[in-house]
This record gives sequence, C-alpha cells and structure tokens, in this order.
Amino acid sequence: MLKQGIKYCIAIVLVLFVLSQSVYFKKLSDVKAAANKVFNAPAYARNYLKTQLLPASKTSPDADQLIPMLSSNPGKAFKTYARGLAIGNIRYFMVQGKGQVTNVDENDVYVLTANKQTIKIAIEYVFGNALRDAPGIIDINDFANTMDLNNIAAAVDKIVRDEVLPPFRSQVKKGDNISFAGAFELNQEHINLASIEVIPVLLKIDK
Amino acid sequence: MINLMKKYLQILLLLVFVLASCHSTDTAKQKKMAIIVSTLNNPWFVFLAQTAAAQAKSLGYESKIFDSQNNTALETDHFENAIASGYSAILFNPTDANGSVVNVVKAKKAGVPVFCMDREVNSPEATSQILSDSYSGCVSLAKYFVQTMHKKGNYVELLGIVSDNNTWARSKGFHSLVDYYPGLKMVAQQSADFDRNKGLEVMESILQAHPDIDAVFAGNDAMAMGAFQALVAAGKANHVKVFGFDGAEDAIQAIKDKKISATAMQFPKVMAQTAAIYADAYFKGKRDFPKKIPVAVELVTYDNINDYIAYGKK
Repeated sequence: MLKQGIKYCIAIVLVLFVLSQSVYFKKLSDVKAAANKVFNAPAYARNYLKTQLLPASKTSPDADQLIPMLSSNPGKAFKTYARGLAIGNIRYFMVQGKGQVTNVDENDVYVLTANKQTIKIAIEYVFGNALRDAPGIIDINDFANTMDLNNIAAAVDKIVRDEVLPPFRSQVKKGDNISFAGAFELNQEHINLASIEVIPVLLKIDK
Repeated sequence: MINLMKKYLQILLLLVFVLASCHSTDTAKQKKMAIIVSTLNNPWFVFLAQTAAAQAKSLGYESKIFDSQNNTALETDHFENAIASGYSAILFNPTDANGSVVNVVKAKKAGVPVFCMDREVNSPEATSQILSDSYSGCVSLAKYFVQTMHKKGNYVELLGIVSDNNTWARSKGFHSLVDYYPGLKMVAQQSADFDRNKGLEVMESILQAHPDIDAVFAGNDAMAMGAFQALVAAGKANHVKVFGFDGAEDAIQAIKDKKISATAMQFPKVMAQTAAIYADAYFKGKRDFPKKIPVAVELVTYDNINDYIAYGKK
C-alpha cells in the first residue's frame, strides 16, 4: 500500500514536472506589445546619421577628384565609389568639398570649388535615398519589411531638413566660402553630370 | 552456362546503369517553371510573363503561363494545378499581398520554391521577392510633380488595387514629399483598380464633383491613360497635368506627344529575368537568396524621353 502511494507520488511529480516544462505563462500586455512592436525609424536614423553617415562623409572623395573622374573614367568612378541597395541603374555617391557660393536660389546653393567645378547643393528638395544608400553601410537583408528601409531614408532626410538646413539657409549668401558633405544620385546607364544635386548632411559657412 | 549467365548479368547491369543515367538526365531536363500572373488584361503583365517564359526557355526549362484574372480563388487553382502537374518552381506575380500568402505557403509545403515578381506577398515564406522600388520611384515623381505644379494647385489621386502593397508604396512615396507643400491640395483620392476603363469612369465621376483640378497622379499608366481620356472628353486635357507609373507603351508615346507629364519607369524585364535565374540557381542547389530585392525605378519626362522605350531603357 505504502509502495503504491510512493509510486503515485513519483508519477504525480513527474507529470507536474513535464507540465511545468511544457506550459509557460506570459502577460497578455507583453504579448500584445511584442505583436504591435513597430520599427522606430527616427531613432534608427538619428543613430545612423551620427555614428555612420557623418563619419563616412569625412572619408568620402573630394568633389574636385570625383567629378572629373566621373567625366573622364565613369566606369572606374562607379566601380570605386557608387553604392545602392536596389539593383538597376540608379547609384549613389558620397562627396565632400569646399568652395565659394556663386548663387543661391529657391532650391539650391551653387558652389565653385578650387578646381572650377560648379556643385549644386539642395536646400529645398532634401528627399530620396541618397543619404541612406551612398555610404553602402545599411544591409538590405537586415530588414524584412521594405517600408522600414523607406522610413529610414525619409527620417534621415527629415533630420537634415529640420536641423542642418535652417541655420545654413538663413545665413548663406553669394560670396561665402563654405564646406559641405553629402550624397548624390546618378544614373549609370545615362550619365548626366549636369543633373548632379548634392543632398547635404553637413553644411558650414567658413569664416 | 555460367559464362553465359555472367554475360547476361553484365549486359543487365550496363542496361540498368544506362537507364539510370537517362533517368537522372531526364529529371534535370524535366524541371519546369510555372509562371502565375495576376492578370493578362494589362500589357505590362503580359510583358512580365512573356519575359519570364523566354528567360526560362533560354535556361533550358519548359514553362507555362497561368492568368489569375485578379482572382485569388483562380490563383489558388493555378497553384494546385502547378504543384500537382510537377512544376518545380513558381515565378509568381501575386494578386493580393495577404490573400496570396496561403498559396505561397502551400507551394513551400510541397517543396516548390516561389519567386515573386513585381508584387509583394506579406509573408517570409516566398523564396525571394524581386520588387520594383515603387516608394522611391514615387518620391522622384513627386519632386517633379511639385516642381511642375510650382508648389500649388488642386489634384486627384487614383489608387490601384487597395489590397496590393504597390498601391500603398506608391501613394506613400508620393505623399512623403508632396504633403510638405500645403499649396498642393488633394481634392479626391479614389481607387480605379489599376484598370484603364475604371480610371476613365472614376475620373469622369470625380470631374463632376471637382471640375477645377490642375493635376492627376495615377498609381499606374493604365489609370493615367483612362484619366487622360476623361479629361479629353471634358475639354480639360490641355490644362490638367497627368502623372502615371509603369513605363507602359501608350504612356511613353503620350509623354512624347506631351499629353502625359511623366511616368516612373519600372523594369519588368529585370524582375522577370532575375526570378527565372534565381529558380535555375535553386535547382542547382543555391538556397541563400535575399528575401527581398528592390529594383530601381526611373523618372521619365519629356526631357529624357529619348533615353527610354516601353518597359525599359533603350
């Protein structure tokens, strides 16, 4: 009788052990929060801009080196410096430089570099993928949702529009010497250097 | 007698070996690709399907095109037929981002890889999805739209099929830029299901309520052309600017004729060829495909129209 009781106890303990290992409890609020978790593009963009984009801009090619190379040896320029997440003809370049402002209009600032290259820098239409794609740092396979990637590009551009452009735009005038860094888009099958418009990430009026 | 038996045995073994070799060669050759597309009622999708079939053929595979007629039930039938008929891969243009998931899952369970072309399914079960970067294409289109409209005016947006992700990717890309300009006012936003006739009908109806519009942004060229027809009939075609998306043949001609302001060129050839090449690679053992591959979309206007032909670049 006692032996049977021990047997039952062991069996109950075993069943309870198996059940405890196969069933677990979670707070419903935690499960709902995990299901509704959305990618925080603004936070990602701010971190990306600070820790990846700005450092990459400091090591990017100078406009006085890159633009002549695109003209004389576009194949090499694209192979060496162009990046892009999508397959196809649209490619992006990082660039930096210094120069004197020759004109400021509603949409762009025009800068003449030391080597007489005229660079157009966007101060109105800061949109698109240039700042996201040009450094070639973001890996598409890290993002299952395409819209997250779109939101990163939009959020990086928004930081530039809200924080980089206003102080520069309110002060810049013809004759100023400026430093700049940013990215631009170019179609590799139909190269039109006149269409280059740099989307800035850094704009500084030099004293 | 023993020698004779040995000879027979040798011949039998040789025969088995030859037959086995033939069988394995045949198995490789017998692999075939099913091309299941949302509709063949739109020339753009006809081009996509035919290009995929041509690429499959050039890689040495037999293929068959199935038309889902924008009907998920029919699409399910096509998947079941394709799996039962022994197709080894499906090159797929889904009808519905959510409604088509069940078919992709079914194929995966049957061990048949699915490569999506142009349209997305909301599932990681597809082997790989090769998709136009519709959002970014519409950001470029939106910049041109704002510049052409000088930042002010009333406009109408014609949406595609509301259950298709491309519809919203295009709309969101467009609004991500245009909505920064308060002078541009959207007076109507309605679906015309990516269909030319519906584009015409919806536009006619919108014009009754909003006769004072300056522009139309349509989520594809078929709807843009339908809207243009409605504007011609209302005598407003010269004033109202129309913007499309796709790079379809009639839209390219309409840009040349200055009837349509711009479109965003997709590259169905790149998507269809990549899907077939991926399927071939799958048959040869490759498994590490990127889950999603965006294909860049290019802005086409009157200024660069000579660089383009329908469905792609010259």
